[in-house]
Amino acid sequence: MKKKIVLALGIFASLILSAQNNVEPKYLLTTKSCSVGYSILSFIDPYLSPAVYSGNGLTYVSDSRRYFTPNNNLYSSQSRFRILGGSMLNPTSSSEMIYLGINYGWGANYHFRLNNNLKILAGGLLDVDVAFKDISRNINNPVNLDLATNFNITGLLLYDIHMKKRTLQLQVAMQTPVAGYMFVPFGGASYYDMFELGSLTDAFHFSSVYNKRGLDQTYTLNVPFNSVTWRLGVRLHNLKYKANELVFKQNEVSFIVGASFDVITFGGRKRTAPANFISTNN
Amino acid sequence: MKNLIIALFALFALASCIDEPETQPNTYAGNFESLWKIIDQKYCFLDYKNINWDSIYTVYKPRVDTVSNQYVFFDLMGSMLGELKDGHVNLYSAFDKSRYWKWFTDYPTNFSSSLIGTNRYLGSDYRIAGGFQYATIDNGKVGYMCYEDFSDGFSDTNIAYILKSFSNCKGLIIDVRNNGGGSLDLSSQLASYFFTEDKVTGYMSHKTGSGHSDFSKPVEMLTVAHPTIQWKRPVVVLTNRLSYSATNAFVCRMKEAPNTLIVGDKTGGGGGMPLSSELPNGWLVRFSAVPMFDANMNQIEWGIDPDIKVDMSLADEAAGYDSIIEKAISLIK
Repeated sequence: MKKKIVLALGIFASLILSAQNNVEPKYLLTTKSCSVGYSILSFIDPYLSPAVYSGNGLTYVSDSRRYFTPNNNLYSSQSRFRILGGSMLNPTSSSEMIYLGINYGWGANYHFRLNNNLKILAGGLLDVDVAFKDISRNINNPVNLDLATNFNITGLLLYDIHMKKRTLQLQVAMQTPVAGYMFVPFGGASYYDMFELGSLTDAFHFSSVYNKRGLDQTYTLNVPFNSVTWRLGVRLHNLKYKANELVFKQNEVSFIVGASFDVITFGGRKRTAPANFISTNN
Repeated sequence: MKNLIIALFALFALASCIDEPETQPNTYAGNFESLWKIIDQKYCFLDYKNINWDSIYTVYKPRVDTVSNQYVFFDLMGSMLGELKDGHVNLYSAFDKSRYWKWFTDYPTNFSSSLIGTNRYLGSDYRIAGGFQYATIDNGKVGYMCYEDFSDGFSDTNIAYILKSFSNCKGLIIDVRNNGGGSLDLSSQLASYFFTEDKVTGYMSHKTGSGHSDFSKPVEMLTVAHPTIQWKRPVVVLTNRLSYSATNAFVCRMKEAPNTLIVGDKTGGGGGMPLSSELPNGWLVRFSAVPMFDANMNQIEWGIDPDIKVDMSLADEAAGYDSIIEKAISLIK
């Protein structure tokens, strides 16, 4: 009898182990969002001009989010690429400013699930700004560069709105710079003496809420339709910073439309794609 | 969560420390205030020229109240800028450009393009390369190159050909009279062919604040000897009062070049690199912002004295001679 019990337990144990071995592996999905937008811009760059330049622009934003590991749905990473180009005029329309800016950021978020419909992601994002402003009629100071890196506090609220046929999602994203490093030339310095002669003293500044304030808000409504989630939204970006006695302002209102979709990627050193995933590379 | 909200409010309360950029209304008074302030905070020679800019305000402010139209206002603002006695200061509107020209109109011309065009000098068979008009003169013993504008670009190849054509000459004349300036890069590049080793030939500074004496520590302006193209025989640089701005900077470098003499009149100056700003009405203002100094840290805003001062004489001119070129030829011989 004792032998029969041991045998039965052995078979049972081996079945459990076998069942565990047959659990499907988890793959991380990356949620990608691509949006384009029309922007209304208003800039003050006192290095180039004390006047307010206003105009229009076009923007493109690409955003990716994924959890760090398949087994933990509390922590996720985010990467974002944003480009904005625009043309602005001074109040008397006698001078034009051309703007081209690129921003890349990487960050991490913690997920608070408040109820079935409401989730908040809070975290930080490290970003790099590279922008070029040009007033071509200026003499010896036609260009100013915005070079900055920032650590930002970020927050994202996701609220599901259940309709009859589909579930919409309202997203409210907020971001504000906390600390960083930025390039701001003296108003009386030329790029010739800064970059040809190397006179860059005091052109780079530590930034904090004391001398750099900004709030970047994006309100988006996600509408699922077939295999893609369409996005409609508005972005309000206000930035003000000061260094070397110069106060810079940048206000942007963008109306954006885009799409959001989940993708799975297999790449890097470990080609982890299982055999039943077909790729053109194989 | 409550702490987080309090922290966020604290952040924005701190952020209110950033002042709003000051803007003036687009009125005569607002534009006057704006122009006066731009010069007050950014013009780099107020102290050096002993200009009491506050008293200029006192003199001109009441006149603004009597202005009847934009033309009168423009002339008034042009007059105010004229107090700076600076060829680099201009006010640009859609209908006019203010200027101060006394830095050359009050002096002898010391240049005659018709004389240079005679067969004794360039004649009609001269060559042109990269903005240079060049020929051998004095029976092929002296090379002569005339450069009228430091905005006309040139390459090493241009210079190599020009200097090669002077290979049998005893020396070279570089005529930068009536050259009102242009690119500082080109002035540095042209000087580089006449140095055999790198040398500090000047300094540059810039304003670091709104105070009249707020300047950065001067940085060296190095003239880097060209690695392959080097003219080692005598050079004479011809100057007059219209040798201005980047040309002034070129002469400043050539003062330190070996085997080189500056001959003619004092240069016009323009030793402050100009930057620009604008008024609420959209007018552009250009002003000297970045002072340059010679190798001994002397200002070059008022011009650079020649090594040998020569003015053109009417008698020589009537006889078909350019007194300054003739002096240069005699020095090379």
